[in-house]
Amino acid sequence: MGPCPDVEGDGVQRILIVEDSATMRSLLASTLEGLGAGVEVREAESGFDALRILPRDAFDLIVTDINMPDINGLELVSFVKTSDAYREIPLIIISTEGSDRDRAKGLELGADAYIVKPFDPDELVRTASELLGKQREG
Amino acid sequence: MAARRSRPRSRRSKAYREFVSEAEEILERMRSDLSDLADQRAADGDVDPELVNSLFRSAHSLKGLAGMFGLDGLSELAHHLEDILDGMRLGRVAMDSPAAGLVDEATALFASELGRLDDPKTPPEGSEEVAELIGRIDGAVREPAAQDDDLAGLDLDPALLRALTEYEEHRLRENMRRGRFIVLVEATFEILAFDEGLAELSEAVRESGEVLSTLPSPGAAPESQIRFGLLAASDLDADALRARIEFPHADVRPVWSPGATAPADRPGEPVATESAAAVAAPTAHEPTELESLKSISDTVRVDIRKLDELMNLVGELVIQRAAVASIARRLLDDPATTRAGMELDKTHKLLDRKIQELQAGVLEVRMVPLRQVFEKLSRVVRRLRRDLDKEVRLELRGADTELDKLIVEELVDPLMHIVRNAFDHAIEGAEERRAAGKPEEGTIRIEASQRGNHVLIEVADDGRGIDEEAVRVRAVQRGVLAEGETLSRRELLDLVFAPGFSTRDAVTETSGRGVGMDVVKNNLTALGGVVDLDSREGRGTTVTLTLPITLAIIQALVVGASDQRYAIPLNSVLETLLIDTSDIQRSEGREILNLRGEPLLLRRLDREFGLAESGQRKPHVVVIGLGDMRLGLVVDRLEGQQDTVIKPVQGPVQDVRGIAGATEMGDLGAVLVLDMAALVEDAYRRREAA
Repeated sequence: MGPCPDVEGDGVQRILIVEDSATMRSLLASTLEGLGAGVEVREAESGFDALRILPRDAFDLIVTDINMPDINGLELVSFVKTSDAYREIPLIIISTEGSDRDRAKGLELGADAYIVKPFDPDELVRTASELLGKQREG
Repeated sequence: MAARRSRPRSRRSKAYREFVSEAEEILERMRSDLSDLADQRAADGDVDPELVNSLFRSAHSLKGLAGMFGLDGLSELAHHLEDILDGMRLGRVAMDSPAAGLVDEATALFASELGRLDDPKTPPEGSEEVAELIGRIDGAVREPAAQDDDLAGLDLDPALLRALTEYEEHRLRENMRRGRFIVLVEATFEILAFDEGLAELSEAVRESGEVLSTLPSPGAAPESQIRFGLLAASDLDADALRARIEFPHADVRPVWSPGATAPADRPGEPVATESAAAVAAPTAHEPTELESLKSISDTVRVDIRKLDELMNLVGELVIQRAAVASIARRLLDDPATTRAGMELDKTHKLLDRKIQELQAGVLEVRMVPLRQVFEKLSRVVRRLRRDLDKEVRLELRGADTELDKLIVEELVDPLMHIVRNAFDHAIEGAEERRAAGKPEEGTIRIEASQRGNHVLIEVADDGRGIDEEAVRVRAVQRGVLAEGETLSRRELLDLVFAPGFSTRDAVTETSGRGVGMDVVKNNLTALGGVVDLDSREGRGTTVTLTLPITLAIIQALVVGASDQRYAIPLNSVLETLLIDTSDIQRSEGREILNLRGEPLLLRRLDREFGLAESGQRKPHVVVIGLGDMRLGLVVDRLEGQQDTVIKPVQGPVQDVRGIAGATEMGDLGAVLVLDMAALVEDAYRRREAA
């Protein structure tokens, strides 16, 4: 693969993590920072927070939890995937097992991947880098 | 299911500490929610669904967090707790069912297991109690009944329905079953300032019903606007609700009406025009939304570790300042540099004042009132009152007394334990109290007050008091005391703090699963505090905790013994004396000094640490007071006072008894800080052994 242009053309790929648990957020962030130096991770502590942060930067990937106060992760997915401005951003739902219905709904709403918590860091890194790769090619 | 790797992380890692503190925060929220839930059920039996949902979310978070750290037992326990709460919020588990009754127990067990994690011997799969409770929950929770009413009768975009979680769907069905109107309230906001407007709208809708779901969708100008749809249930229909909420830019339309079984018949509704109108409207509203941008809260939440770093920096400044002072002194002493010395001395004094202000400022930020702890204790007492069916009143005084945040946090467990002990063991049943001529209702009084650089917390009960004879018998049984040995009343009461000591054979659950007063004492000692106990048989017991206001910076007295220097925390020093060795008396192998008619037990610091003895004829005695114990520490030199920041010691001296840590003292280099509690305790123990 040659040099990969990204949306802003500054060589940085931005990932937005949406998760209400601080511990989980920092675990996700440190895992995703493992993707390499060209990756910048931003953290949102709720769905509302994500809605505020989204317009500020060009994001290349969103990783969101489902169970959160204010708006839930599914509602966020629905927003992103129906918005002309954001629908192209790949999105990973990361949530606890056992909610098969929520999982099916997430994928129906347009999420690109669904990872079960407790998450396997390798799986997350693999999925994220695949989705970021697609983003680069597209 | 595919094998998933659990990744036990080091129990010392930063992430792990974050996990523990977040889990504690969640548990605290759960306790508060559970207590509210109990109150609501007692009041009218009608429970706020959001309360149960919040409990569910908490259990869900605990499950995920514990799972991430490979704590399979805790994760499984939280999973089962989540199952019950899920059943409760989805209406599958009744509030008064046996399963619902296990929620408190499971929450409490999670908390106590979490507390046990510090012990490296704790296995990741958790204790037997966890497995046992999980078994009982399995037995109590029945499989969910399939619930498949269809929601096809709703006049709603299927995309919106898809974004509802299972819980939100349940609330939707529940409200339809109760015959309420289902409506969709939509409004467009500026994306940079939607919070306040949306919160106002939600609040207005909530006054007339329940908000089931909040769905964001792109506004007409997606870069700058955002549109929210609130799916709501209300006893009012769409028109009445629109009139009631008085929100000019909101668009309210019916989604479902009670009695309507078929989809509402509104085929040609021009939705596009409605939203266009709503989008156009906010322009008139713009000024207020711009204003709302400015009205950001003037409080900032700060991680306590950042304050620790700040405090450490201040501590280092304090030490550097001492180095500047000593350079100034040297310059002053040399006639050739007196002038420069005077200038430096002046600058140093200015610097000193500013550093003191900075230090006081940082300290002040760390101070929090004891109120939060008191509130927790009230909750505990409320629950105990219910569980044990005992009438006990809790009196709280001095809730505004402030202490360092770290100390306040560490105080919760010991205080909780003391209060539980009082409730469980000390305060008698109603009959016994009547027979003793006491009011049937017992009292636990907690009073906090500030005394100089210390805070005193007294926990007093009017219960049966400590049975000194029972303590003596127990001590003999446990081999702590020889048969026939006599002790003063004070010494006898002190035995209560001996490791593993308890005067009740069967420790009931409330008093904390075998965690005794020895743990309380250790907790307090770790904070540089002291615990004292006084008790009158038949009249009650008072436990007094004395704590430093902060752990961060202490004033220390620097002393010399042989060729070594040590620092003694000044808050434990009562006075210093210059004596002649001929003043020292010997009695039963102990050295004693007659101090104003009272015998003062002496220990020589050089002997304590096996140093070469100087044989000085005129040594100094530092009189130490801890609680009501006194000890005279014989040292060769007094070298002055210094502000110091104590740091834990690593390496070979780490485990030396009598050393609390080390401190950097500018030009004096590293100095060991004495652990006064250990030294005083050892001296008294040796006296008893002698």
